[in-house]
Amino acid sequence: MSLLSERYGEQSAYDELIDAQQQPRLAAKALFAHLLRLDPSALAARRQEAEAAILAMGITFTVYTEAGNIDRAWPLDIIPRILSRREWERIEAGLKQRLRALNLFIDDLYSAQRIIRDGVFPCEVLEGSHHFRPVCVGIHPPFDVWAHICGSDLVRDQDGTVYVLEDNLRVPSGVSYMLENRRIMKRLFPELFQNCRVLPVDDYPSRLYDTLSALSPRTGERPVVVVLTPGIYNSAYFEHSYLAQQTGSYLAEGPDLFVGPDDIVYLKTIAGPKRVDVIYRRIDYEYLDPEVCNPKSVLGVPGLMTAWRKGTVAIANAPGAGVADDKVVYAFVPEIIRYYLGEAPILPNVPTYLCMRAADRDYVLAHLAELVVKPANESGGYGILIGPRATPEERARFAELIRADPRNYIAQPTLALSTSPTLVGDHLEPRHLDLRPFILQSDQLHVTTGGLTRVAMQPGSLVVNSSQGGGSKDTWIVDREETPCSLG
Amino acid sequence: MLSRVAENLYWMARYLERTENMARLINATTLLLLDLPPGARFGWEILLQVAGVGELYRKHCGPPEETRIMRFLIADERNPGAVLSCIHQARENSRTFRDVLPAEFWERIHALFLFGRDHASAAANRHDRYAFLNELIAQRHALAGLLLGSMSQDTADQFVKLGSNMDRADMTTRIVDVTTAVILPQHDSLREAVGESLWIGVLRAMSAFEIYRHHISAQVCSNQVVDFLLKNDRFPRTVKHCLSEMEVALALLPNSDGPLDTVRRARKRLDALRLDDLSPAPLHEDLDQAQKDLSAIHHAIHQEYFDPLAQHRTPDPQWTAIC
Repeated sequence: MSLLSERYGEQSAYDELIDAQQQPRLAAKALFAHLLRLDPSALAARRQEAEAAILAMGITFTVYTEAGNIDRAWPLDIIPRILSRREWERIEAGLKQRLRALNLFIDDLYSAQRIIRDGVFPCEVLEGSHHFRPVCVGIHPPFDVWAHICGSDLVRDQDGTVYVLEDNLRVPSGVSYMLENRRIMKRLFPELFQNCRVLPVDDYPSRLYDTLSALSPRTGERPVVVVLTPGIYNSAYFEHSYLAQQTGSYLAEGPDLFVGPDDIVYLKTIAGPKRVDVIYRRIDYEYLDPEVCNPKSVLGVPGLMTAWRKGTVAIANAPGAGVADDKVVYAFVPEIIRYYLGEAPILPNVPTYLCMRAADRDYVLAHLAELVVKPANESGGYGILIGPRATPEERARFAELIRADPRNYIAQPTLALSTSPTLVGDHLEPRHLDLRPFILQSDQLHVTTGGLTRVAMQPGSLVVNSSQGGGSKDTWIVDREETPCSLG
Repeated sequence: MLSRVAENLYWMARYLERTENMARLINATTLLLLDLPPGARFGWEILLQVAGVGELYRKHCGPPEETRIMRFLIADERNPGAVLSCIHQARENSRTFRDVLPAEFWERIHALFLFGRDHASAAANRHDRYAFLNELIAQRHALAGLLLGSMSQDTADQFVKLGSNMDRADMTTRIVDVTTAVILPQHDSLREAVGESLWIGVLRAMSAFEIYRHHISAQVCSNQVVDFLLKNDRFPRTVKHCLSEMEVALALLPNSDGPLDTVRRARKRLDALRLDDLSPAPLHEDLDQAQKDLSAIHHAIHQEYFDPLAQHRTPDPQWTAIC
């Protein structure tokens, strides 16, 4: 296939769309049949069209630099990443299983702590947790669910196995880009969507609204739902306003809310105070309530934690849910699933060394050059050591960090992340990627159809975070792979 | 609607209105100055006076000169009233309420911003400037049309109306004030001709020339123009009309008694104005009063809708009725 660059002959990583014989996989056949009929200039033209649409639609994210905040256009690669429906259904089941277990785990930690008493989860991990909130002990949120919105990162290794790399349970972002990517791709390739059975993704805002409104403490009326944002200078502000718009919620900043002496949360509106039922918070716990958390926070709402504890308002994700967003807890998720659900985990974890264990720590320190080392409580790809690419000085610095605070570090083998064809100039080159589906839970469970595919735009790079130069792709879950669609 | 969102809508509308008004004023003034005989004693700095940035200009740019004034009024970041600053502010304000306006609105206001930013260098030469500012006006009209055609007569709409009429009335009073203060040449025949050109220029800046000719008089004389611009109740850019529009908008909002009182007071004072004799000093006082009235309306709106905690800092049993 002339579209593929020579790199395809050389690579050993699993490719999502191209098999070892450099032929399109079954689910990608229709796409390639179509691409091959376009001439190269048409592909470049569509890419320009995509860039123009993104600019015009104002789809941006913000990068903080010393020179000020830059609003960057959202980077989208126009070659989709494709998964078959059959494979996706297994992944979906695995993600639901995982979130159910994690919520049971969080609920247990804030009540009886059975899992610790039964010796399945070590007490010292909890003691070293950055995100365990004693103020939440004894609270029972609706449905005993704490993490209502979860973004889990999936990766595929060389032999084709899909692993969960991490579970983001605090304020995961990216879902609006998944929705906008699809909107742009439908503008660009209407003929493909017409002929292939690409499953739709656009029911997410409705499912999100259902998930949130089910948490309302008041029954009967349409609940008042608020998306709580730190404001326009947050890198995900685009997403906050997008989700508020799509779910018919209010987009509020901390100063738009206040808690009355009745411990009820109100919005400041032009017609006077209006009672709030559910807050979808997009600010970290530390900033939620200056009376309980960071007293210097101007983003939060004084008295909010009291209102939540009394049950007059629901907060998603619940304060304290972040306790399970810890890479040490991550290592225990397979055990957690077996313990609470009595089921075998459907999706495997990436093998993980816990530096708090002496034997693991010794191994990690001896093999730094082969491993990826991560701090337990960071997100966004910050503070990570990629051993094979690091300098000896960086490795030495990490060795010290690990010895100083072993509980806060884990290590994993460097995975040969899968690749997918990505448009570079007028041909396709392999670029590494991951996948972030979003899982919702309140009275029901729901998983996005696919998710946000993030792709490292530099050749060979494994860093997919948009804050660090990563791009994205539309993710297609294709139905009926056995009968390739006609392009007649 | 959130108080903050209402406030942002109001200011977005004010900034957009100001963008258009500045663009119109610059274009009309350019045409006017080309017509004036050499003896006429006013120049580009009249624009600085109308915009109220004379001092700021002198501080940053020195003596008045066409190109420098234009750059200052159109593209200078140090001038918060510059056309580009207004567009920028309008766009930033509309970021915070993307959840209440049609999605297309954001695309268009963002496009207006990009257009302004990319073409502002046209400010330097007269030919390009004219086309550039006209295009800005056209894009602003497209935005207004989009709102008109796609928004229900709801709360957001009322705050947009309040904002644009507030800024429009403000601009009209400023223009009248500055124009009546222009010192005309002593020579009688020249005096008459320059006076007429000046007011024709003003009418053109407001797209009011044809309407004035049709409905008021074929003669353009200052008393009648001033009377028209302040007190005509049908033409959309008159102070009178702006006040009526604000009254209609307020009547559709909750708890509007306070702000409505201020509008009615302003209108009464306007109705009582006698404009037979345009001696600059008393007229200036009247216009000053009109500006004060506008500012009173603004403060009443602000207090009632944008700063609710000032009134609701302590809870009050009647809330339950509202919630």
